Amino acid sequence: MEGIVLALFLCLILALVTKYLSIPPIPFYIIGGVLLGKSGFALVTSDEISRFFAQMGLIFLLFFMGLGLKLERIAANRSAVLTSGIIDLNINMLIGFVAAYMFGFSIIESLVIASAFYISSTAMTITSLVENRKLMMREAETVIWLMVFEDLVLILFLAIISAGDQNPLLFLLKIAGVLAILYAVAHYGKEFLINLLDRSDELPILFTFGAVLTTASFSMYLGVPETMMVIALGAALATTDPDAFEQHARPFKDVFLVVFFVFFGITINLASGVNMVMILFISLLAVVSKFISGILTGIFIHESALAGIEIWGNTIGRGEFSIAIAALYGSPLVATTIAGMVIVTSIIGAFTAKYCTGMRKWMAAPWRRKSSYHSHSR
Amino acid sequence: MVLRSVNLPGVGTKYEFETDKGDIVAIFFTKTGTIQMYTLQQGCNTPSAAEMSPMEARRLGNILTGAIIEAEAESVEIAFSALADLRITIHTYLIPKEITGKTIEDLQIRSKTGVTVIAVSRKDKNIINPPPSFVFETNDAVVVIGETDQLKRFEREVMVD
Repeated sequence: MEGIVLALFLCLILALVTKYLSIPPIPFYIIGGVLLGKSGFALVTSDEISRFFAQMGLIFLLFFMGLGLKLERIAANRSAVLTSGIIDLNINMLIGFVAAYMFGFSIIESLVIASAFYISSTAMTITSLVENRKLMMREAETVIWLMVFEDLVLILFLAIISAGDQNPLLFLLKIAGVLAILYAVAHYGKEFLINLLDRSDELPILFTFGAVLTTASFSMYLGVPETMMVIALGAALATTDPDAFEQHARPFKDVFLVVFFVFFGITINLASGVNMVMILFISLLAVVSKFISGILTGIFIHESALAGIEIWGNTIGRGEFSIAIAALYGSPLVATTIAGMVIVTSIIGAFTAKYCTGMRKWMAAPWRRKSSYHSHSR
Repeated sequence: MVLRSVNLPGVGTKYEFETDKGDIVAIFFTKTGTIQMYTLQQGCNTPSAAEMSPMEARRLGNILTGAIIEAEAESVEIAFSALADLRITIHTYLIPKEITGKTIEDLQIRSKTGVTVIAVSRKDKNIINPPPSFVFETNDAVVVIGETDQLKRFEREVMVD
C-alpha cells in the first residue's frame, strides 16, 4: 500500500512538471516507474492491490475509447477514414513486424510489437492538436479520423489475439451474445439510463463504475476478452448519453490509468538481457515509418507531400494503447522494447508536433521556388 | 455565408463558416471546456487562433450580437423587434462611497430617473428585486433596467450624488 502512495506522489509531481512544460506525461510516468521499481532503486514492488488498480486503469482507458466510438458517424465518414487508415495500417504494421522479426522475436511476439509500433497515442495527438492550435488545419481532421481507425484496428487485434486456441465458432457466439446483451440494455433501457445519469447524487457514478466492472468480470467468467467487451460497453452506452458517461468515468480513468503506467514501469526488468541498441533502432524506425505513411497519406488525401509532414508530426507519439498491448500480451522483453519505443517516440513526437508546421514551411520554400518555373497555375 | 458543423471524435464540435468576402472563421468547442477560435484571411495560409474560457467566449458573443460592453461596467441591450422595436437596456454599476448607507427610497431613483433597480449583488449574495428600504453598501454591484436616456440620467443624478 505504501508503494502505491509513493508511486502516486511521484506521478503527481511528474504531472505538475509535464503540464507546466506542456509535454506528454505518459513517458515520464513510465520512467518514474522504472526508477521506483526493480530496475531502479527497488522502492516499490507490485502487489495484489496495485495490480487491481492497474487493471482498472486499462479497463477504464478502453471503456473511454468505446464511448468515443460512434459507429454511425464513422460510417458517414467512410472514405476519409478508410484511405488514410489503410495506408497507416499497412505501412506501419509491415515495417514494425519485419523489424521485430529480424531482431529474432517469434511471429506472435513480432505481431504484438508491430501492433504497438503501429498504434499512435490518441491522447497525445489530440492534446497536441489542441495545444498547438492546429485544429483548423485540413490535416488535423485527417489525423483525428486516423485515430478512430486505429481504435477500430485495436479492437480487431484484441479479438484475434485473445481468441487463442479456443473453438472459434463458440468464441464468436459468446462474443455475439455479450454484444447483444449490451446493446439490448442500451437500447431498451435508454430512457432509464438517461434519467439515472441526470441525478445529482452518487447513483450515476456508482452505476458507471459498476457497469464497467460487471462487464469485465462477466466477460472473464465467460472466457471472452474483457478488454474488447468494455470497449463494446462504451460503444453501446454511447448511444444513450456519452457525455454524461465520460464525465462520470473520467475520474476513475485519470487516477487508475496513472497507476497503470507507473506500475508498468515498475515491473520492467532491465536486467533480463535487454538490447538497448535494438530498442533505440526500433524506436527511430517507428518515427521513420510514420513519416512514410504520413507522406503517402498527404499525397493521397491532400494531394501534397508537404501536408504529410503535418500528419507525421502529430502522429509520432506512441502511448497508452501501445502500453496496453504490451501489458496484455507482451513477454518481459517485448514489454521493455515497447516501453522504450513509447518513451522515445512520445518525446520526439512532442517536439515534432510543436515544430512540424515550421519544418513544413522551411521545406516548402525551396520547393516552391523550383516548381514555380514549371507551373504558374498555382 | 455557409455554416457547417462537424463533430470530431475525441476533440469536440467544430463550427466553420466562410464569409462572403472569402475569409474563414472556425470555432471549436473542445472537450476540455475551452473554446478555440481560428480566423483565416482569404489568400493566407496560416490561421491565427485564440483560446478562450467559456466565460470569455460568452462575452465575445455578447459583443458580436451587438450588445455594448463598457470598460468597468457592463450593459446589455435587448430589442424586441415584434413589439414596435421595444428596446430595454440592462446595466450594472458599482455603488460609490457617496451613496453608501442610503436606501433606494432616499435616493428617489424611480421618480427622479425612471430606471428600476432589479438586482443587487453583494459579495457572493444576490438580492433580486430589492425593496425600497434596501440600504446600499460600498461596492455593491447593482443591476439597473431602463431606456438609454433614463440610464444616462441615473448615472448623472444618482451615481455622483
